[in-house]
Amino acid sequence: MLEVIQSGLETSVQDYPGRLGYWNQGFPPSGPMDSWSFRLANLLVGNAVGAAGLEAQYMGPTLRFQRDGVIAITGADMQPKLDGQALPLWESLAVEAGQTLALGSAKSGVRAYVAVAGGIDTPPWLGSRSTFHKAGVGGMGGYALKKGQVVPVAQGKGTPGRRVKDGCRPVFATDKVWSIEVVAGPNDDWVDGAGHKRFLSSDWKLSSKSDRTGFRLEGPQWTFTEKAHKKAPEHGSEPSNIIDQGYPLGAINLAGQTPIILVNDGPSMGGFICPYTVPSAAFWKLGQSKPGEVYRFKAISVEAAQALARELSAKCSPSSII
Amino acid sequence: MAENVETVVPGNVWKVLVKSGDKVKSGDVLFIVEVMKTEVPHSAGTDGTVKAVHIAEGQEGVDAGMLAVEIE
Repeated sequence: MLEVIQSGLETSVQDYPGRLGYWNQGFPPSGPMDSWSFRLANLLVGNAVGAAGLEAQYMGPTLRFQRDGVIAITGADMQPKLDGQALPLWESLAVEAGQTLALGSAKSGVRAYVAVAGGIDTPPWLGSRSTFHKAGVGGMGGYALKKGQVVPVAQGKGTPGRRVKDGCRPVFATDKVWSIEVVAGPNDDWVDGAGHKRFLSSDWKLSSKSDRTGFRLEGPQWTFTEKAHKKAPEHGSEPSNIIDQGYPLGAINLAGQTPIILVNDGPSMGGFICPYTVPSAAFWKLGQSKPGEVYRFKAISVEAAQALARELSAKCSPSSII
Repeated sequence: MAENVETVVPGNVWKVLVKSGDKVKSGDVLFIVEVMKTEVPHSAGTDGTVKAVHIAEGQEGVDAGMLAVEIE
């Protein structure tokens, strides 16, 4: 059991892969944005990779343990301290009842993950414990943690002193520039050749108006094919308007001239084109990048994106832990 | 007691509520940073006078850990 002393900026219960199977009814998967760090945290404490844990964003929470246990902290460096003593990341640690874990503001990366042996034991909703605060479901009463709450943890037995092997954990950009893979489509035929070239060769700055719903980007103007200009009025007035359609998760959704990457808590449909899609294997980079940092997009095939997801899942296995 | 108030999150400076020379009390909100469509107020940790303000309203893309307001 974890008592919330300070909630942090927006700390929520998430599990992996989240609430799958309800996208066609408007429910996104939610789940951790950096599922690589999240899965490793679970493996460190002996949980199944998908067990529910905490995602802290930008500014972490302060939590008091109500019983002895084993925890691991991964992802962003929020300079965690246990009763004032600095703790290492990427390592399983023993904690005792009455001790206080304090996470500060993120020094590198954005999202930190806290796994507890046994896993967080809030009631699942539609098969997942992930918080989706826009609908007020999952997690602790549907929302981010609040001061004074007690987060239930299932019984579990972890082993302290386990670490992540070298080369098995994500490395965050230190030069504020991230290379992000994209797959063309579903609406790539609405953008002209110059538009594609511009998209793939420009720096795109992450706006601070970005959250778990969408990552808003700032960059050059888009240009379109004839299809975007000569269309039935039902599509809408903007070149990027299209008759409402389903969106893939990770879609780079073009709202007028502003691309917004639809992420874990994003919408499942709407009336804008999506010229490119960020594959799930690149989501960890989105989750750990700060406003003002730059994305450079690299086009890959669907097969290459699937291979990246398989490689990532292979790294999120007990063989990465020593 | 002097205090250097730093930004605790990266983002845009949404509001600056003090200027050089203002008297502030511990707990007074000095400025608000916006990130993830969330307001993050930054407060004084001490009573004193604002010596310098290093951020401006509307400033975009500030980093975390940046010196924002000096109190003496």
